[in-house]
This record gives sequence, C-alpha cells and structure tokens, in this order.
Amino acid sequence: MKVLVYSSFTFSYLNRARVLFGTLRRFHPDWELVGLITDRPPKGFQFDVKDEPFDRVVYAQDLGIANFQSWLFRHDIIEVCTAVKGPFIHQACSGDADVVMYLDPDTALLAPLDPLVDWLRTDEILLTPHLIDPNQDRAAILDNDLSASRTGIFNLGFVAIRTRGEGARFARWWNDRLLEYCFDDIPRGLFVDQRWCDHVPALFDKVKVVRDPGYNVASWNLSTRKLSVGKDGAITVNGAPLRFWHFTKLGPTGDVMTKRYAGDNYPVYEIWRWYKSQIARVTDPRIPDRYWAYDHYDDGSRIAKAHRVLYRERSDLQEAFPDPFSTRGGGFRAWLVAEGLLDHG
Amino acid sequence: MASRASPEEIYNVVAGAFDVEFYLTIYDDVARAGLDPIRHFLDEGSREGRDPAPWFSTRAYLEAVPEAAADNPFYFYLSAGWRLGQAPQASEFASAHLWSAADSGNSPGSALQNGLADPRVQRHGSRPVADPAASPDPWTVDRDVLLQVFDADYYRAIYPDIAEAGIDPLDHFLTEGWREGRAPSRTFSVPDYLEFNPDVAALGINPFLHYVIAGRSEGRLGVHDLGFRHRMLARLLTVPERQAHARKLMDGFTADPPSGLEALGRLGSDLHLTFSHDDFTANVGGLQLCLQREAAGLARLGIDHLHLFPVTPWPTLRPDSVPGLTGVLLNGVRLGVFSASQIAQALRKAGAGAGRTFALHSLLGHSATEVLDILKAAGIRKGHLWLHDFTSVCAGFHLMRNDVADCGAPPPDSPACSICVYGEHRQAHTEAHDRLFAALDITVAAPSTSAYATWRAASTAPEDTPHIIHPHATLTPTQASTPAGRKAPLKVAYVGMTALHKGWAAFEDLAEAFGDDPRYAFLHLGSRPGPGSRVPFRQVSVSAQGPMAMRDALMEEAVDVVVLWSLCRETFSLAAHEATSAGAFILTHADSGNIAAFARLGDFGQVLDSEADLAALFRSGQVAEHARRRRKPMLHDLTFSETTADLLGTAR
Repeated sequence: MKVLVYSSFTFSYLNRARVLFGTLRRFHPDWELVGLITDRPPKGFQFDVKDEPFDRVVYAQDLGIANFQSWLFRHDIIEVCTAVKGPFIHQACSGDADVVMYLDPDTALLAPLDPLVDWLRTDEILLTPHLIDPNQDRAAILDNDLSASRTGIFNLGFVAIRTRGEGARFARWWNDRLLEYCFDDIPRGLFVDQRWCDHVPALFDKVKVVRDPGYNVASWNLSTRKLSVGKDGAITVNGAPLRFWHFTKLGPTGDVMTKRYAGDNYPVYEIWRWYKSQIARVTDPRIPDRYWAYDHYDDGSRIAKAHRVLYRERSDLQEAFPDPFSTRGGGFRAWLVAEGLLDHG
Repeated sequence: MASRASPEEIYNVVAGAFDVEFYLTIYDDVARAGLDPIRHFLDEGSREGRDPAPWFSTRAYLEAVPEAAADNPFYFYLSAGWRLGQAPQASEFASAHLWSAADSGNSPGSALQNGLADPRVQRHGSRPVADPAASPDPWTVDRDVLLQVFDADYYRAIYPDIAEAGIDPLDHFLTEGWREGRAPSRTFSVPDYLEFNPDVAALGINPFLHYVIAGRSEGRLGVHDLGFRHRMLARLLTVPERQAHARKLMDGFTADPPSGLEALGRLGSDLHLTFSHDDFTANVGGLQLCLQREAAGLARLGIDHLHLFPVTPWPTLRPDSVPGLTGVLLNGVRLGVFSASQIAQALRKAGAGAGRTFALHSLLGHSATEVLDILKAAGIRKGHLWLHDFTSVCAGFHLMRNDVADCGAPPPDSPACSICVYGEHRQAHTEAHDRLFAALDITVAAPSTSAYATWRAASTAPEDTPHIIHPHATLTPTQASTPAGRKAPLKVAYVGMTALHKGWAAFEDLAEAFGDDPRYAFLHLGSRPGPGSRVPFRQVSVSAQGPMAMRDALMEEAVDVVVLWSLCRETFSLAAHEATSAGAFILTHADSGNIAAFARLGDFGQVLDSEADLAALFRSGQVAEHARRRRKPMLHDLTFSETTADLLGTAR
C-alpha cells in the first residue's frame, strides 16, 4: 500500500519535524513524507526541501482555504497548525496514497509502524487514546484522566486512515469541522481538533482504537506504561515493542511531568536524552526562538490572542477587514486603536 | 461529588495539618468544653466557617472553590485542591494568633531569641518583627520543631565546608543553604520540591518550611527519588564531547626529537610490543597491574618490552583522521612522546627479529592504521588481543548502554543501540578491529570464560579466530576460617574505587537505607572515599608490591559480605577473587559478568536480580545467613598470572 505521512508545523518546530521525518525515513524509506507548513521562512534562513528529510512541502496558503488571511487570523499558532490538518488529509484522499497518516512534529519513531498499515487492511480509521489503562492513583487521575476528559479522549498527535470509504468520509468531516471550529475553547467543548474526535467511534464504522501500549507513549500515559530494554536490543512498553513516542513539551514542564510518572523507570530518561540530543543536532540557530511569520501585523506589531478571538467572533469585522494583518490605510489594527482596545497607534 | 474517603481517613488527613493550638486559642468555647478540636472541626466547626489553621480560611476557600462544600473543605484542599492550584487564604484570626503566640514564647519571637534567623524577615525586611500590625507570615516554624526534622549530622557530612567553617548547620540552611539548593536531610531535596511544586516555588519561601508546615501532611513528597541512573543520565556526555575534551588535552604536547628513540636501534631479537591506554608504570588500576606483572615476566624471560600508549587519555579509538602522539616505554624506561611515523621509522631502522610478538591490551587512544604501521615496521604479525574490556566490540567498551545499564551488545541496528550515546560510534570500533584481524595473526586472550562468550557473540572477528582463557588470578584453598562465635553486626563492605559503573551508587543507597540498622555495619575499603560519603572508610591500596593488601584488609576487618554490584559485565573481577580469598561472601547481580559467573561457579556468593532484591535481602535480615561465623568459609591464597608473558610459549 502506498503510504503518505504528513506533519504540520511552523519553522520554530522545524527541528522537531526533522527528527520525526529522519526516523520515518530510517524505518520506511519508501513512504512519502510531507511537511505541512503554516509559516514563511525567517530572514537569513534559506529553506530548501532538498536539504530536509522529507519529500515535499505544502504551505497552508496553498491548501485553497477560502479567505485564507482572514481565516488564518482567527487562530493562534496551535489552533491554525491543527486546523490545516483537516484540509490536507481531505485533499490527500484524492491523491494516489492508499493510507494517509498524520504525526505531530514532536513525535519520533523507535521502530517500524508496519502493524498500523496492516490494521488498515481491515479497518479504515486508526486513533490512539491518551489512556489505555485506567489510573488508580489520585494524582494521576487528576493529571491524566481528567485532562483527557477535558481535551479529548484520543491524542491527535496521530491519526491514520484509508483514503477510501469510512476513512475518506472521516477526512471530509474533519476538514469541515476544523475549517470552522478548531479553537482552544474548552468551556465550549472545543479543544482544537481533539474533542471532535471523541465523536469518531459514534459517527464512523471501521474505527480501530489502538490499545497497543507501544504507540504514542507520552508523559500523560507513563503512569501506566513501563519501559524495558532487553539484551536483544528491543525497547518494549508493557511488553510490546515501542513504536513511537510523543515528546510533548520539550523543556522543564515536560521534564517534570515525565519525572512524576516515570519515577525510576530509567529507560524513559534514556529516550528523552536521545531525543534532546537529536533535536540539538538539527536545530538551526538562524531560526529565532518562537519564530512565527503570522504573529504580527504587517507593521511589525504583535497580534494579541484577544484580537484574534474578537475578530473570529465578529463577522462584521471579518467583512470589513478581509486581510486583518494589513495595516495599510488603517485596517483592523487601526480599528482596535480607535476602539480603545490597543494602547497605542 | 462528595469524597468516598472513610471518616478515619478524613480525620487522619486533616489531623496532619490541623493546628490544635491555633484552634483552641481562637475558639475558646471549644477549649472550655474540653472537646477534641479536630473532631469538633470535622463535626461542626467547618460548617460554622471556623478555620483549622492560621493559613487556611474555610470561608475564603469555599468562596473560591464552591465544589469543596461537598466535602470538608480543608480535607478537599489537602487531598485534591492543592494540586489544582487552589491556594488558600490565611485565616482572619491568623495575625492575632501568631502575635499572641510570639508573646508567649512560641513561633517567630522565640525562634529569633533562640538564634533562628528567619530568612524572610531578615533578608528582605518584609516586616519588622515586632510590628503586630503587619500581615502575618504563615511560613514560620519553631526552631525546636525544625530540629526534629533537620538532620544536622547529614548536613555536616555532605557539606564539609559547613563543618570546616564551624557554622551551625540549621542556621546555615535557613539563611543560605536552601537558596543554594542544599539538602536539610536525606528525605528532602530543595530542587526536587521546587520543581515538582511550582505553587511553592512561586511563593519564594524556603520550601523545607513549606514541607514541614503543610506539604508533608498534604501528601507532597520531600524528595523524588528517580534513582542513581537518572543522575548518571543527567550528566552523561556524548562521544564527540568526550573526544573534543581528549583533543584539547592532547594539544599541549609536541613530539620529542627522533633521537629519543635511538635505544630502539639496540633492540634484541626477542621483543614484545604492547599497546594500552596509558603508562602502566605511572597509573594505578587493574589493567596497569596486569601490565606490571607482564613486564616483570618479560624481564625474567630476557625479552625486550616496548610499550606504547596515547600521551593523554582517550574515550575511544582515535580516528585515523585525528593526529595523535604516543608515549614510549622501553623496558619500563620512558623514552618520550613521539608520532607513530617516528616510532615506525625507528623500528624499521632497527630491523626485524625472529622472536617478536605483540599484545593489544587496550586500543583506546590508538589509531588502528598507526597500530598496523608500527607492527609492520617492527616485522610483527603474531600476538594477542586481550579482552580486558569490550573495546573491540563497541566504543562503549564497558557495554553499558548510556553508561547506566549492561546492554549485552545487541545488534548495532537495534533500538537500544539507536538511543545509546555509543550507538553511532560502534561501527568505527568494529571496522578498525576487523582490519586488525585481517592483517594480523591474532589470538584472543580472555581472562574469563564469560568475557570470551560475550565477545564471541558480539564480535565481527572471523569465527575461526583462536582464543585462550587465561585468568589474571587463581585461588588455592588454604584453611577453613574459625571466626569467633559471638554475635556482631553483619559487616558489609564495598571494595575499590567509587565509580558509578562499579556499583558504588547502589552500595551507597544500601548503606544509606540501612546505615542506622543495628544489624549491619557498612564499610568501604579502597584508595579514596566516595565524594561526600558517610560510609566508614579504610584506605587500602593494592600495588605490585602489595598485591594482597585488599585481601588482608578484608580479613582484618572480618568482613562478612562484599557487595560487588558492578553495573558492567566485568571481564575479570580481582575484587571477587580477593573477597573469596578472604572468606567474604559476594552479593552481585546477573549482569556483572565474571563476578556473577565466579559467584555461581564456586558457590562464593549470591546472584540477585535487582537492587530491589538486594534491599529486600537486608530488610528481611536473610542476608545474615552469610555471616562469617555461620559459614566458616574456606580461605584461599591468590596467585597472579603474568598475563601475556605466560602465553609467549604458545604465541612464538
């Protein structure tokens, strides 16, 4: 089966994407690897896909999203990088791939993913839940079970579909929802793309909930997953081969969550050490920390999250300012100033 | 939803943080009625909006967290709320209570009179001590209370600068120590507590005071023991980092003029050329002792001994692309430092000889190409490759994945190798050795069967490579010991250097856990004590002149059990032989190579599965079965080999 894997990121996450795609190339040299980028390269950084461990790049503005600038402005960086996953997977169903798989840029493979492709010979949608075993410890319930209840049962750092039947139907539905409702708004039942997928087992057939502990290992499920490294060189999670890890929150926050639940299960720290060294190796110092081309108006001033929220909630503003990034001749920013919603002009 | 906890559990949790004195002082109706204040609070007080401690306002908490009303709000906070970041507000009575307590000799006033410098008051001057109108500081603890939980002995032991300066440990901790991240006891870590409790870190207070006042009864952990392997991983260096360091060390050296090698022109026909990682006459260690004995054997046989070593230590083979300098010893005399081409040229000039052999003891710091050039120049093809370690199989020559666990040398493309610091550098070592095996007539010499078995399974050397098992030492039974029959604490020793891969951390953990247990007495015998260690230490240095020093010390101390918890598979454990010769029982684990094989072979010890099993053996007391007075062990003489010198008959 022809497999296409894509990941959605901005240039500040290029280092993570490089590690992910490097591991994909290692284990699956024949899979097509696509970087889906919602960003523009920073000044002084020459980006050439020929130098990257993926086959091609698709920029978000080329997905054919209507009123792209307006649509983009309604989202913050996490929301938009998640939202573009929908149109891409939907459009990929019209291509020649039999299987399309999404992986977050901060995941990395430790072993081949062939069993996923095998499952997709019978099932058409694969999802990995945050938790596959209930926690018993109160702190773990508060940290992990309730967190999953708020943000979504399945972790959408991974999804894989057949490009036909139920898989294609899911892709269409996901596309439609994410184009309109991909926001971090937990009180209203939205957490980007994830809460939507709570509906998937109810809305679609041929859904396989991957309960193999070797997939999507992350700090939120370490409380029920134990790593071992055998003398044969195999790395296992609760006895199953470790397939891919989700290195969420690289930095002090992620470290604390990992330590809290890994305890003295030291192979977990070996894996993190490896990941950090891989990231350090492929990090390009020419990309400024936290860089994103769409975090400011075209006059260089920062866009506050509140401005994005206001804009997305007001169709009149969307009509009046179809390119809210633009400050030429006034624009949305000037309107904010006039309304007293910005301190200075 | 109300708690499913039993009333007893709720009582116990609340009691842990409940301030009886505060409650009885503020609510004198409870005091007058002679009621149990905690029971009163649980049954009625909480519903009446009374506060259980000066730092907790029941009403304010219920306003902020209405769902806590389903439970006792104080219990809700202690068991769940704190995790959600629901910080409590101080009781409206806190101020009055604290200052009345200060007046009566409790709390801040008396603490200061006793010499306790409250760092918040003194350092930041947040409020004058005598100003009762100022806002109360709930994070103060009576010095007497602190002294019960602060381990002054521990503080002095691990921070010798405090003992040397003659500073009171508690004063130091309260003023400077906590800010420097120092530990007030074995069971509390300042950095751990701040890292895992960001709400406490945000308060900017001494986290130990928080732990004593509130944290421990809230179920927070004082220390997050992630194990010594986590600590090792945190400071693990990559191979390129280590190589860069080695290159820097080498930079200070230049080659001596070739005239320094003139002595090579007078070499006899019989020559034995050895390679190792250092100058065995100048350094101390097991391999150095082997070479010293080899040198003595060669001298006795009348064979010239030329020894080559990298001028500075190297973590791996030296890549051919990196120029290096080689130290030269001829019959124990240092000729100087030279390039490989200088050495090859001098040997070529000296001409060939019939009785010439080599021994590769360690190729760390050597380039395979240079080794081949030198041997070719000397006209030598025949020799031994010693398995003192597994340099010929991997750059991680101890076969320790990421320096934390025995790896067993799995296939190089295995997941384990892919996450290991040595994984990418393994091929350079196997390829270099493949070239040596192809060009030379090598017999592999293993000091133990277990070392050979590991090497054979992992090596890429030709299957028909000849080998010989030649132990560095052998035991000869002498007499059964006749220990005194009186009961004494079981004496448990660690032998040798305190390197982590030798198992020091596991032993230290054991000694810390059972150090106060009267059933056991722990002891470290070696050349240097462990850094900051509290384990009693006796200096013992083994040398060619005093080869039995460790055995003699073990006998003098009447050591019952030696913990040989090497994390790497030892190719030959002299310590195991010393322990057995002295009649001590060995405790080890399955991955320790020759130690485990030796312990099993002669029933000299017990092979356990894990550190948890080791601790369980001590906890249960079963380890006492191995007391010398119960076993009446056989004592042995130790006879040392002369390494390659013993084998030259076979090689020539």
